[in-house]
Amino acid sequence: MIKTIPMAPGVTLRCFSDSRFKQGCLSIQYLRPMCNEEAAQNALLPSILLSGCASAPDMREISLRLADLYGASVVPLVRRVGNIQTTGLYCSFIEEQYAMAGDRILAPLADFLCELLLRPVLQDGAFRADYVESEKANQISSVEAQLNDKRAYTQQQLLLKMCGDDSFSIPATGTVEEIAKITPQSACNHYHRVLEESPIEIFYLGTQSAQTVASLLQPLTEHRSDRLSALPAHTAFSGEGFAEYTQHLPVTQGKLCMGFSTPITIRDPAYPAMYVLSVLYGGGMTNKLFTQIREKQSLCYDIGALYVDSKGILLVSAGADFEKCALIRQKVLRQLTACCDGDFTASELDCAKQSILSALRSVEDTPAGMERFYCYQRLLGTNRTPEALFRMIEAVDAAQVAEAAKTVSLHCVYELKGEAQ
Amino acid sequence: MKKLYYPRVCETVYEDTLSSGLRIVVVPKAGHEKKYAYLAANFGSIDRAFLRGGKAETVPMGIAHFLEHKLFDMPDYDVSEAFSLRGASPNAFTSYDITAYHFSCTEHFDECLKILLEFVGTGYFTEASVQKELGIIGQEIDMADDEPDSRCFEMLMENMYASHPVRERILGTHASIAQITPEMLRTCHSAFYRPDNMLLCVVGDVDPDEVRRIAAEAFPERSDECAEAPRKWQEDMTCRTAYSEQTMSVAKTMFQLGFKCEPLLPGMEGLRQEAVGGLAAEALFGETSPLYLRLYRQGLIDYSFGGGFENLSALAFLSIGGDTENPEAVRDAILQAARQIAADGIGQDALSRLKRASVGRHIRAMDNFASVCAQVCMYGLSGYDYFRTAEPFDGIRSEDIQEFIGRVITPERMSTAIIRPSKEEES
Repeated sequence: MIKTIPMAPGVTLRCFSDSRFKQGCLSIQYLRPMCNEEAAQNALLPSILLSGCASAPDMREISLRLADLYGASVVPLVRRVGNIQTTGLYCSFIEEQYAMAGDRILAPLADFLCELLLRPVLQDGAFRADYVESEKANQISSVEAQLNDKRAYTQQQLLLKMCGDDSFSIPATGTVEEIAKITPQSACNHYHRVLEESPIEIFYLGTQSAQTVASLLQPLTEHRSDRLSALPAHTAFSGEGFAEYTQHLPVTQGKLCMGFSTPITIRDPAYPAMYVLSVLYGGGMTNKLFTQIREKQSLCYDIGALYVDSKGILLVSAGADFEKCALIRQKVLRQLTACCDGDFTASELDCAKQSILSALRSVEDTPAGMERFYCYQRLLGTNRTPEALFRMIEAVDAAQVAEAAKTVSLHCVYELKGEAQ
Repeated sequence: MKKLYYPRVCETVYEDTLSSGLRIVVVPKAGHEKKYAYLAANFGSIDRAFLRGGKAETVPMGIAHFLEHKLFDMPDYDVSEAFSLRGASPNAFTSYDITAYHFSCTEHFDECLKILLEFVGTGYFTEASVQKELGIIGQEIDMADDEPDSRCFEMLMENMYASHPVRERILGTHASIAQITPEMLRTCHSAFYRPDNMLLCVVGDVDPDEVRRIAAEAFPERSDECAEAPRKWQEDMTCRTAYSEQTMSVAKTMFQLGFKCEPLLPGMEGLRQEAVGGLAAEALFGETSPLYLRLYRQGLIDYSFGGGFENLSALAFLSIGGDTENPEAVRDAILQAARQIAADGIGQDALSRLKRASVGRHIRAMDNFASVCAQVCMYGLSGYDYFRTAEPFDGIRSEDIQEFIGRVITPERMSTAIIRPSKEEES
């Protein structure tokens, strides 16, 4: 059972006391608006903070401290959830009962996390210039390396083109141009704003009590401003029209990404039907796209759909011979029409529902799974439990799925082709 | 089922070998909804030449992976649908030395386990379905051609090994898979998917005896097949070639460095060799090493940098890779740092810290049930016990790390594979 403790205005701790695991997890997320002005800064901040703090002034010292704590892991946590971006740290660690007798883990780790967040290495009132430049270069590399994964790259390019003014077009990493603009001073100014004004979501799963964790993390509630930053309301994607784009790169296989929109988001009463539709259409191994286009027609190896429920966007991605992409596009649309017409079997519907229900039953099987589910629901304001969503999915019928399919319309197509095409 | 307790990783495990020869490992996890089952055959992409009934057989490159795809075909039902209707997600993978079939589910576990054991044990191959699969796997090969990380690793293996088939692609090539026939698939299936050449691992809230009963029903008797893949190749500790490079559509130059190591010995001594290799990698270029910080601050490495000690049948190596503008400078710095450790050793404190972190990571890994299943299969089919992999750390001395680095991290044992960005055109 989750226990919620308001630690201070805007600072909420959610605790799951659970002794089934050998490890615990702790996430600390500062909530910011997802916008062009901040995306790069928010994405860069945790990496700067993990470059050094007062008692561990460089990355190696930090790694040594974590190694002492049985290889505890602390990594940057930057997420996009609807119109919100989060910036912070995610930590996983072994439970004390698995350490040598007398070794403490959570208390020294919580102290260290507070120090990493609150006592960075500063120089003349700004972050250290070499740390900032190093992390900027790293982040730019990471943005540019998106090109290496052609499927993800094609999806990213499609969203950039399709979403236009919507916050969903902004890369959660920030753009290379915005990252390059960051200075040690601007990063430090932003850090203070984040620290003082942002709502904070803290999630803990482990064997300790909520009161213990709240007490260990109390320093995070200090030095807070009276005025909390306002967060934007979540909105559905509302683009109109249709556009298609082709990019040529030296690749062996073509990539196709089709961007659809639907007014149904996670906040809509029809959400469970839309969720089921997305899986029936393109999730798992028995969906329509996989069975009809890959298994029956051998047109591609890799095809599937992804429903971005915070925005009401459905993406279909495939990798195929360049000359087959046009045919695959037709087949993808034909399968959507089949869904609209209710042309799917009871077995297909059941497979889709069972796949979702199984995933929901197992949310609480891993610390990371629980952290992701509950934080996502919380940040979108839906606050559903896996059990509640389970009941909603169970109640979905074929007619509702067909109705959900009718709301889906194609907005954008992005194709990656070879240089000779 | 024999109950075993492994104190180093605090894990209780049930094990048995059926009269058919099938080995079973069950890790009960009370209070968890999802259950995982892996059935793995000791047959991978490196097993292209073998003896079957005294007769030498050679099969095309990529056949183990092709067989993995085709085993999902059954004459009278759709395997994927059978799992999906029960809310289960099936999948499979082929590595250099094993092929594993697996599912996870929250309900109908017994039925799903029966389906897994049945379809892996059946082997139904037709000319039409083999022809159809050529198109799908051909697309998979094209997709892999555009994946620079795996391409760079394949290049490294081609560089390092002269005769070991790890130098060949797991997927094969368009030309090699075109030679595959239903008869060849039947041969490989009969030869290697024998119960005594497979291992079943289940992790979740299950009854070990019930798992055993279902498995015994599916594989009641020993196969009369007699096949053996000798897995013996002549390799010395020098690389076939020290360097190769190619261009691809990548953002930044990417490299992989490999250092040849002696193959692991059987039993605990092999696990000890592996632990020494892993600690040596951490000491040399892990995040706690002085080298890592220096290279990072010089902008020579980024978040993508990493590596470790790897081994499979009849080979072992230490690899290091990532994105960099200057792979030569990174390579030189690694060799320099290795010379320093070989001369000066590492301190006792540093070693204790590395061991503590490694043990912590092993303990945390036990919470990842899918990974536990896969590791049990990989180690188990190679003759090792995965749950004992953390045990050798206690006995390792700083001299062991010093000796390993001095012996292995040398130019004579090294090869480099590099992928450089090609010129891209956007329209």
